[in-house]
Amino acid sequence: MELCHAVLTIPFSGPTLDTWTLPNGVHCVSASMPDAPLTCLDLWCRAGSSSEKAGEEGMAHFLEHMVFKGSAGLAPGAFDTAIEALGGSSNAATGFDDVHFHVLIPPERAEEALELLLELVLKPSLDADGFSTERDVVLEEIAQYADQPNEQVLQRLLSEGCGDHAYGRPILGTPSSLEAMDPEAMRRFHQRRYRGANCCLAIAGPSSDQLPAAVASSALMGLSPQMDPINSAAEVGVCPGRHEISLERLESSRLLMLWPAAPSREQGAVMGADLATTLLGEGRRSRLVHRLREELQIVENVSMDLSLLEQGSLITLEVICPEENLAVVEREIGNILREAADHPVSERELQRGVQLVSNGLRYALESTGQVSGLCASQQLWGRNQDLLAPLQLLQTWSAIELQTAIFPTLQPEQACVLIAR
Amino acid sequence: MNVSTTNNPFCSVIPLSTPGIFAAKLLLPFGSALDPVGKRGAHDLLASLLSRGCGTFSNEAMADLVEGCGAGLRCDAHEDALTLSLRCTVDDADRLLPLLNAMVREPHLDQDQVDLERSLSIQAIQRQREDPFHLASLGWRQLAYGSGGYGHDPVGLEEDLQTIDRDDLVALAEQLPTGSCAFAVAGSLPPHFTSDLVAAAGFQDWPSALNQALPPSPGSDGAGITQTIQLQPMDTEQVVLMLGQAAVGHAHPDDLPLRLLQCHLGAGMSSLLFQRLREEHGVAYDVSAHFPALIGAAPFVLSASTASDRAGLTLKLLHEIWMELGTQLLCPEALALAKAKFIGQVAHGLQTCSQRAERSVQLQSMRLPEHHDQICIERLETLTAEDLNAAAQRWLSQPLLSLCGPASTLDTLSRQWQRP
Repeated sequence: MELCHAVLTIPFSGPTLDTWTLPNGVHCVSASMPDAPLTCLDLWCRAGSSSEKAGEEGMAHFLEHMVFKGSAGLAPGAFDTAIEALGGSSNAATGFDDVHFHVLIPPERAEEALELLLELVLKPSLDADGFSTERDVVLEEIAQYADQPNEQVLQRLLSEGCGDHAYGRPILGTPSSLEAMDPEAMRRFHQRRYRGANCCLAIAGPSSDQLPAAVASSALMGLSPQMDPINSAAEVGVCPGRHEISLERLESSRLLMLWPAAPSREQGAVMGADLATTLLGEGRRSRLVHRLREELQIVENVSMDLSLLEQGSLITLEVICPEENLAVVEREIGNILREAADHPVSERELQRGVQLVSNGLRYALESTGQVSGLCASQQLWGRNQDLLAPLQLLQTWSAIELQTAIFPTLQPEQACVLIAR
Repeated sequence: MNVSTTNNPFCSVIPLSTPGIFAAKLLLPFGSALDPVGKRGAHDLLASLLSRGCGTFSNEAMADLVEGCGAGLRCDAHEDALTLSLRCTVDDADRLLPLLNAMVREPHLDQDQVDLERSLSIQAIQRQREDPFHLASLGWRQLAYGSGGYGHDPVGLEEDLQTIDRDDLVALAEQLPTGSCAFAVAGSLPPHFTSDLVAAAGFQDWPSALNQALPPSPGSDGAGITQTIQLQPMDTEQVVLMLGQAAVGHAHPDDLPLRLLQCHLGAGMSSLLFQRLREEHGVAYDVSAHFPALIGAAPFVLSASTASDRAGLTLKLLHEIWMELGTQLLCPEALALAKAKFIGQVAHGLQTCSQRAERSVQLQSMRLPEHHDQICIERLETLTAEDLNAAAQRWLSQPLLSLCGPASTLDTLSRQWQRP
């Protein structure tokens, strides 16, 4: 096979992007995808759980729910009915760094949908009755997560590893933090975080001349230009250590490890971390899967993920295995991680990793929802570039550089380790 | 869409503009519904083995080739079929596409790989017992389909998997190319795909498909069902409730009216379940109306999960919503909204190359025309609230309930369910 000398070329580019900024600092970006059956309108805001202050734990996510309970001009439920009657759908998600609200809509109805979306997100009514019913819904969401051992183990790892940093707290908050909230406090949070330069609107779909014009006369123009003075966010550190817990209803044991990695803005370092996690944990021929599942056959599953975050990314390793194999699994993982720091990977292995990472990004550019999300998160955090630009940075990583700069940071000694049985 | 008409597999080409990638799907009409008696899980195990060595490639050589191209190649078992899926760049098309043919025609099924995959499946089955939604769903299948083909999860049962050996799998593998198979590619395509896909994929010498009828409906007509409730005690915070009935297959004329009811009940935040359970009463976070496209009588199931102290109210609401389907007419606004959602769902389901190729082979396997979705959209105009009502009376009159949660709550709910 001629894989050894394969050279990564990028003959295809991602969608063409057009970016602009409104006078009050709102970032705007549109991605042209002529064949898409649906246009995606995606409003992002730097209002994730890490922007909560003491006493606000869970508010970013609760507000995301409350937004859908209506606004000054939209009765509860009117937004959903209007969007869905146009053949569209909507949803939202809250992360550590940001929150976003998106609508998928037939292109010819995008202007109407834009007006509805902005009305809903920028002018929520936060009505007291709806507040108390929706709090019950969030409490059910917390209970639903509590019944999933997978989720519990991961949250425990983040709490142990990230200490007092916001990334260690559950995004959903806790029953007691939610009980203590009221609509006024939520309104203050909304006014503080939903401001011009904190927001980004991304549009992906068939090109439209009308949409940028509609944006220029939309409710986005009314956002305050003043920035919320940023509470100098400290980068997340991971406290190394080893923790053992027992969980009821766990049918297989888990071994998890957590490491810190470069923040999203350091894109070159991030690509290196992505490459390293791919070489270790993605696919049957990756080092961990090959050794633990295929050769020794002592684990059921291995997954290794890089979560891109603004205050320092996080790498997690999760291994699922029978309890009696835990000790040998942990020893083998240590050996594999040390080997990667002691010797460079082969050229062939490196090329395999490069191909997996670069194609992963290309596969992520298929639908308007994926493209708008990528565009918006880049613009929101000050990275104005082609969507495939990070691939050029992949080329800068040699086997020696990975060995000296990345793998030594992914050792058991630096990890927060959690064993659950 | 161009169609090249060889006998088997039936091939479709769907050109789309992408960043240089495409998806291919090869559907073989042998799914978990055809698992032999006492061998539940056999088709899923076979599916997992097809990518572990075929033709001139050992397990490791195959993984080296596929992963070295940064591609994705897998085979999954569903109730009605095995589906082989490839996703890769145009540059790698010629190296990777022929693997699909080799996986079907020359799988190795090496003993050591069989042992490994069987062991992984058994461990996965054990781990799924952690998930109350999964347990409620298994209970519902059992209740509705019993020992019928849809009565078990495709991954199978631990005790059955223990008895499946290599010979069982070889026998199943030999059948694979004899069914009416369907193949589709979608995305940025090399020119020779469009001109001669059969040659590009190496499908020239497949046997003619046996002129088989569609498999007999593995569903149930309600006869033989003696129980209407299934309880799965588990020490959880919430109770999972699943209420539903085995309804119709995707090609049945009543599929469309039932699909409109599914849109009405469960599509989006304006749906009835969302509005009544979540917005009016705040009793649940996740609510859904599930109605997959299957060849046989597909499950039509409403589900919700809620805290124990509100489970009685949630069950009452779910049951009321269910009974309204056959007794009350949708108002004109609700009917129009359900139709708009159906049209929206068609567009939502065709956004990626994989989705386009998947829908193409699915329709082909069900002997439905390639423009079936368009035909349904045109048919919407003629459908009335009375039609939906009548379909509900035909198919949704005897719901079955599956519950997973704390034993004491299940007792209470069970008494509530059995009260006349």
